[in-house]
Amino acid sequence: MKTILLSISALMISAAGVAAADDPIAVRKALMQATAASAATSGGMMKGDIAYNPAVAKAAIATLNAVSHAYGDFFPEGLSGENSTASPNIWEDTDAWQQALSKFQIDTQAAVEVSGKDGPADLASFQAVIGPVLSNCRSCHENFRVQTN
Amino acid sequence: MHRKILTPVAALAAAGAAFWFLTGAEGLDAQALASVEPGDAARGERVFWAGGCTSCHARPQAQGDAKLELAGGLELTTDFGTFVAPNISPDPDDGIGAWSEADFANAMLRGVSPEGAHYYPAFPYTSYARMETQDAADLFTFIKTLPPVSGAAGEHQLSFPFNIRRGLGLWKMLYLNEEPVLALGQDASEALRRGQYLVEGPGHCGECHTPRSFTGGLEKGKWLAGAPSAEGNGIVPNITPDESGIDSWSASDIAYYLESGFTPDFDSVGGAMAAVQANMAKLPAEDREAIAAYLKSVPPRPNGYPASQ
Repeated sequence: MKTILLSISALMISAAGVAAADDPIAVRKALMQATAASAATSGGMMKGDIAYNPAVAKAAIATLNAVSHAYGDFFPEGLSGENSTASPNIWEDTDAWQQALSKFQIDTQAAVEVSGKDGPADLASFQAVIGPVLSNCRSCHENFRVQTN
Repeated sequence: MHRKILTPVAALAAAGAAFWFLTGAEGLDAQALASVEPGDAARGERVFWAGGCTSCHARPQAQGDAKLELAGGLELTTDFGTFVAPNISPDPDDGIGAWSEADFANAMLRGVSPEGAHYYPAFPYTSYARMETQDAADLFTFIKTLPPVSGAAGEHQLSFPFNIRRGLGLWKMLYLNEEPVLALGQDASEALRRGQYLVEGPGHCGECHTPRSFTGGLEKGKWLAGAPSAEGNGIVPNITPDESGIDSWSASDIAYYLESGFTPDFDSVGGAMAAVQANMAKLPAEDREAIAAYLKSVPPRPNGYPASQ
């Protein structure tokens, strides 16, 4: 039984590995979808559509933090095209791109610190740290995404 | 013999005279200007954000207070050539500090410079023509409170025949008028009318969101249906209530997007719209709600750009 489980998990890891290597566009899209879902949860709580819950806030922050550290690895030189809205600026202005990735990481790190063990205690403290994190969406998409549909 | 030569010469001269006559730059009439009250800077600031002045006239990539330094310099690269946004800070030498209120109103509402030359419609006066003269006066008063910045921005780099400013007189005859794009019913709410004013006038949304004919005029039958980007990089989306547009968005979704930059599925604003949305966020909530009411009411249109783009 243990062997089967181990081989299944090994299979899953290798499957993910193959997918990541073969299709970076699919991976970075999945990461952005996770980001959008976390932003939706965060936005819902800030708008009052969803009651504030520290554990949910913590989950959103943790997801955004994980994405911020992984995302930049899935933009091999020039990989854009029909299925992608990545702007050529990513490879033409690499310094600005690296700065944008790094700002996303710094802002999520600050949120993780406030989040602590149980998540931000109340909506106000959550808002104070998630606002700067979410502002990265706009600033990055302003320069590094092309609208295609 | 003489006759044979003279006729084409005379015809050419007549055509030249007609061209000269038709292409002159015409400002606002004195009556419109005389009815204006002294400008109010606070009201002018609201016009400033609605009009998005800073998105083209601040230095490229300016953030925070630097958005209020209207030094110019942004380059718009189009099929006609490269347009460079000028310095419109209140600097008397390099900006508009020496202008009169009438100079400013003529520039905004008629696309005419203080020297009587046509401006290129990269400066969206075809939309601003629908603005109240009072709003232009208020805006001028506000801009005069901003920091003067010295240094002129570069010149436009345009190819023939687009480098002949006089030719714009003909273009303006076709495309410049102050009539609203859509006719609203008698029963239209105040919010709807305000939304129409903001979208069709100062907000100049149609300048990017509506496709253009080969002569560079907006195709009003495809109003707000989306268009290939003028800078040749991707598309500008369809914002009519069509299936291919934003029919699934509620009015409050639209208002929230303009406030926060997030779409209903929490994708975020991007590209040139990011700066526009940042301006919209500075308007009172009632203005964003008015824009939303108008966008929900415009005729639905299929995408105004080819599927391959």
